[in-house]
Amino acid sequence: MMSQMTNPSAIAREFVQTGRCASCPIIDMHGHLGPIGEIYLPAAPVEKMRRALLRAEVRKIVCSPHQALFSHPDGGNRLMQETIDRYPDTFLGYWAVNPNYPEAVRRAGKDISQARGFVGFKCLPDYHAHPITGAGYAPALEVANERRMLVLVHTWGGSGFDSPQMLAEVAQRYPNATFLMGHSGYGDWEAAVRAAHDLPNVYLELTAVYVAHDFGNQPGGSGTPLPFLSCLHVNGIIEHMVERASSGKIVFGTDMPWYSPHYAAGAVLFARITEEDRRNILYRTAEKLLARSGGA
Amino acid sequence: MNIHDCNCCFGDAARPPFRYARTAEELIAEMDFCGIQRALAYHAGMRFDSPVVWNDRLVEEIRGFSPLGATWAILPSQTGEQRKPEEFLAAMRSAGVRALRAFPDEHRCRLDKRTFGDLLPLLVERRIPLLVKQNILSIGDLLKEIPGLVVVAMNVGPHSLERYLRPLMDEFPNLYVETSHYMVEGLIEESCVRYGPGRLLFGSGYPDVCSGAALLRLAQADIPPDARAAIAGGNLERMLEAARP
Ligand SMILES: [Zn+2]
Repeated sequence: MMSQMTNPSAIAREFVQTGRCASCPIIDMHGHLGPIGEIYLPAAPVEKMRRALLRAEVRKIVCSPHQALFSHPDGGNRLMQETIDRYPDTFLGYWAVNPNYPEAVRRAGKDISQARGFVGFKCLPDYHAHPITGAGYAPALEVANERRMLVLVHTWGGSGFDSPQMLAEVAQRYPNATFLMGHSGYGDWEAAVRAAHDLPNVYLELTAVYVAHDFGNQPGGSGTPLPFLSCLHVNGIIEHMVERASSGKIVFGTDMPWYSPHYAAGAVLFARITEEDRRNILYRTAEKLLARSGGA
Repeated sequence: MNIHDCNCCFGDAARPPFRYARTAEELIAEMDFCGIQRALAYHAGMRFDSPVVWNDRLVEEIRGFSPLGATWAILPSQTGEQRKPEEFLAAMRSAGVRALRAFPDEHRCRLDKRTFGDLLPLLVERRIPLLVKQNILSIGDLLKEIPGLVVVAMNVGPHSLERYLRPLMDEFPNLYVETSHYMVEGLIEESCVRYGPGRLLFGSGYPDVCSGAALLRLAQADIPPDARAAIAGGNLERMLEAARP
């Protein structure tokens, strides 16, 4: 298939022919785990998910289970721990924090220090209806700041809970924590790229960035309680991010078991960027971040 | 392998993507970059400006570019903007157009029997496929009214819409799904098991999305080679051969 393509990338060619590239593995910095009420996910069973990851040479994925995000976080965080213990070579975790359970946020620092394989926190402000700048997240963000941990924050353009502008504000408040902007502030690309360019502790994360979100096309819209910003076309966005913020500020993500790793990788492999940029996005930048936060 | 893209576009729009093909020639360069041999194309003006202007312009602009096939976008006939159905189909025939598109959201109309009752029965009779970008439930309502219509649901995603989609796929054997946004892990594979490989058509979605994404997804889908070939182009080509505008 596609044997006559003029894309000069050797990495892309190897992926097209074999589904992977041994010299260019993938580290996925934005995963989940298990089923979700909102939609049907064929890869929800962990064995199916793992198989799909291995087929694309995804060596590591950092996850927060749906259960940790859409029910009391404790049960889901335990599920993450069990999964990490069972497959320590594949899975790392983000400790999910939900400000609607303040007692769990207050003890998150202690909990995560006793856990194995967690590299930071996951915040989902739009869905939990609490601003990332608000007091509810502060106990976890203070811990991340003290211990130089990662914080993956769902961000979306125009949101009153997690816009790129709000993420930039909180990143300046906690300069020793490293913030990954989940979905790169989808739709408000300029603000997101500016934050990643200007702030040393802010990174762009690609989950869904390669997707044209037209919520008018989806019955029931999206699962958030708020209307999401649509964006009818995104081709060229990865090139734009590389040009403005550099590939050293971009990490790869899929929301697996949501988006196919091959689909997401295809958007990076067929972008007009250099092989070095592809390596930075697909694994090198993530490798550095994980080494710093104890996940390597 | 023969790859025939049923969903790609060139031309300027008011809010263009970061990178896109301005001309037919640039679209072919993008197809070559990905190793896509043929495409059923439309012009951005047909979607974001007016089909009244751009249906004909598309045919002119792709003339001489053999990898590209033309499609037209439909409008209701009541306003007089679009020729009466028989006349429209005759023009379509002489322009070599074998498939139609509908953008009911962009063009603010209902794609139903009340609005298109003069045209849709003719499409059924002549097996002309209608490529529709719209909420999947509205497509279900359309098929309930006109069950024989060959409909390709475009941009089905990015979330998994299976709980809506499968009841419709079960009920309407002439409902097909284009793959540019069918990106949730496992959906292509499960569709092939449940319906066989005959119900999916490859679409790059370019330039809504990067062509390479849906392409690598299909290239590496966990399905047999003949299923991959059917989705890559065989299904679309059979559909176009059956059409009698
Ligand atoms: Zn996510």
